[in-house]
Amino acid sequence: MAKSIIDGLFGKSPISPLQHHMTSVHSCIAELKDFMVAIHAQDWDKAEEIRSKIGDKEGEADVLKKKLRLSLPSTFMMPFSRRDLLDLLLIQDSIANLTKDVSGLMINRKMTLPNEIFEDVIELTSVCIKTSATALKAVNELDELLETAFGNRERKVVGSIISDINELESESDRIQHVIRTKLFPLEADLPPVDVMFYYRAVEWLGELADAAQKVGSRLEVLLAK
Amino acid sequence: MEIIANYGDILLMLAVAFGLFMAWGVGANDVANAMGTSVGSGAITIKQAIIIAVIFEFAGAILAGGEVTATIRKGILDANIFTDSPHLLVYGMLASLLAAGTWLMVASNLGWPVSTTHSIVGAIVGFGAVGVGVDAVAWGKVGNIAMSWIVSPILAGSIAFMLFRSLQNLIIDTKHPFDNAKKYVPFYMFLVGFVISLVTIFKGLKHVGLSFDLSTSYMLAFGFGLLVMLVGTLIIRRIHVDPNENDDFHFTSMERIFSVLMIITAAAMAFAHGSNDVANAIGPLAAIYSVIESGGLIGAKSALPIWVLLVGGGGIVFGLVTYGHKVIATVGTGITQLTPSRGFAATLAAAATVVIASGTGLPVSTTQVLVGAVLGVGLARGLAALDTRMINKIFLSWLITLPAGAMMSIIFFFMLKGMFGA
Repeated sequence: MAKSIIDGLFGKSPISPLQHHMTSVHSCIAELKDFMVAIHAQDWDKAEEIRSKIGDKEGEADVLKKKLRLSLPSTFMMPFSRRDLLDLLLIQDSIANLTKDVSGLMINRKMTLPNEIFEDVIELTSVCIKTSATALKAVNELDELLETAFGNRERKVVGSIISDINELESESDRIQHVIRTKLFPLEADLPPVDVMFYYRAVEWLGELADAAQKVGSRLEVLLAK
Repeated sequence: MEIIANYGDILLMLAVAFGLFMAWGVGANDVANAMGTSVGSGAITIKQAIIIAVIFEFAGAILAGGEVTATIRKGILDANIFTDSPHLLVYGMLASLLAAGTWLMVASNLGWPVSTTHSIVGAIVGFGAVGVGVDAVAWGKVGNIAMSWIVSPILAGSIAFMLFRSLQNLIIDTKHPFDNAKKYVPFYMFLVGFVISLVTIFKGLKHVGLSFDLSTSYMLAFGFGLLVMLVGTLIIRRIHVDPNENDDFHFTSMERIFSVLMIITAAAMAFAHGSNDVANAIGPLAAIYSVIESGGLIGAKSALPIWVLLVGGGGIVFGLVTYGHKVIATVGTGITQLTPSRGFAATLAAAATVVIASGTGLPVSTTQVLVGAVLGVGLARGLAALDTRMINKIFLSWLITLPAGAMMSIIFFFMLKGMFGA
């Protein structure tokens, strides 16, 4: 039987695929803490196992990303602009990419962290994961937003989640600063190339929190109209 | 004149048969679009939809279907042209019924979103202009109808937009959507009952021989609105917040209240559809009947006999029961993006537009009006994604339907002329 006109009028909602993608991204970054612990314990088998898990999940997110992109023809009329949505998707995806990069770099160099900064790096990682979790929470509010047709009340809810994200990001900045101050006096005793990569690893972890924060600010742009 | 005298009975029987065929087509296809939003939003089941559709399509056809029938019967063609050859009008109307019915079937099987209204108007204009003469068509009136096809979706869209916005402000975007839904939804129920009954009383009931003065009409509509509100409120009262249902705002519980409203709106939509689209089948039938009954007099004033309306209503119900339930099933399972609150805004807007159009005697395309209403909700940022490609498709199908209906009715017209004599 023929498809109905009314039925054909509805496009596929981009919201739940977007949430799926973010869920997948978050499950990727969530592995990072165990990874850090394994690295520090020099348990390379376990670390390698987690790294390949991260790789798989990143690939999963990539597939979801491509699918969503292909299911958004320009004839869709949506409550937000197509470009903002695709930007948000790209930023979400960058979290998974960065996670994969960090874990790849650390395992390839068999990087063991100096005891002095280990605790702080673990804390930084936790904050990164928490930032991403909060970003996921914000993205998951999107269907509620649609329910209220982007009404003010629900916008405020999302707004408060976004300010939580921002706070977490500043927290990550603070920890980065602590780690760098601790690293500096150690520089002389450590192999210089290692030191360089410690700075790099910390920087990338910081970028993870930044990326999660960007998800929040993109959402804000999405809502601004 | 002799032709009418000699073959009158056969022609009338043919008319009833073709009328039933057309009404069957309307019931089988069009009703599904009218009811699809209700089923698709999850407010009612397919079974409920069919029961509602059967009752209210029938009621709409009988109580409010008269005015549009009159337009199709005598508004599109200039009656004076047929004074000397009334049998041509009979042939033409027969041909139109057959053409529109056939086109409806062919197109539905091919999956084209055709409109029953466009088919029948195209068919009547076609045989009139080519079979009889360009002067036979009342072009002014046809122009009005064509205009309404553009105006009515826009009107429905605007109403849907405003309705949805009001829901948003009063209920959805508040601290306690559930409580506010309980408070305000009865007023929307009243609105549905009031508007529908008012238009019916003003324009429809005179065809079944009832008429009231102005104040009585308003009183009756008001009373009916209150009745709808009362029944609805009683049902709503039994809905409570389910604490297990997600998060702070209890949207899921709120939507259950809207489901009740949606049942009422679905009934209104079926009523509206019956009042407007049944005329597509029985308008020509009524025209044939009045010519034959008066022995060939065109201008004769004859009341619309109730059995003609019954043929139309019965045909629609028959089509719905034999075939339409399948279509509703396909439509209903497809639309997952319409929650009851959104579905309500779209359906009520469409129903109101169609009922108002029926009241003024304009045959509008129910499907187009519904599409307009759904777009209105989308513009109010109420829907995740609408595929605007469909609008082009609908426009295209409209452009094809007019000449296709016309062409077929011309062919059938000349066939009938050959069979029964010029």
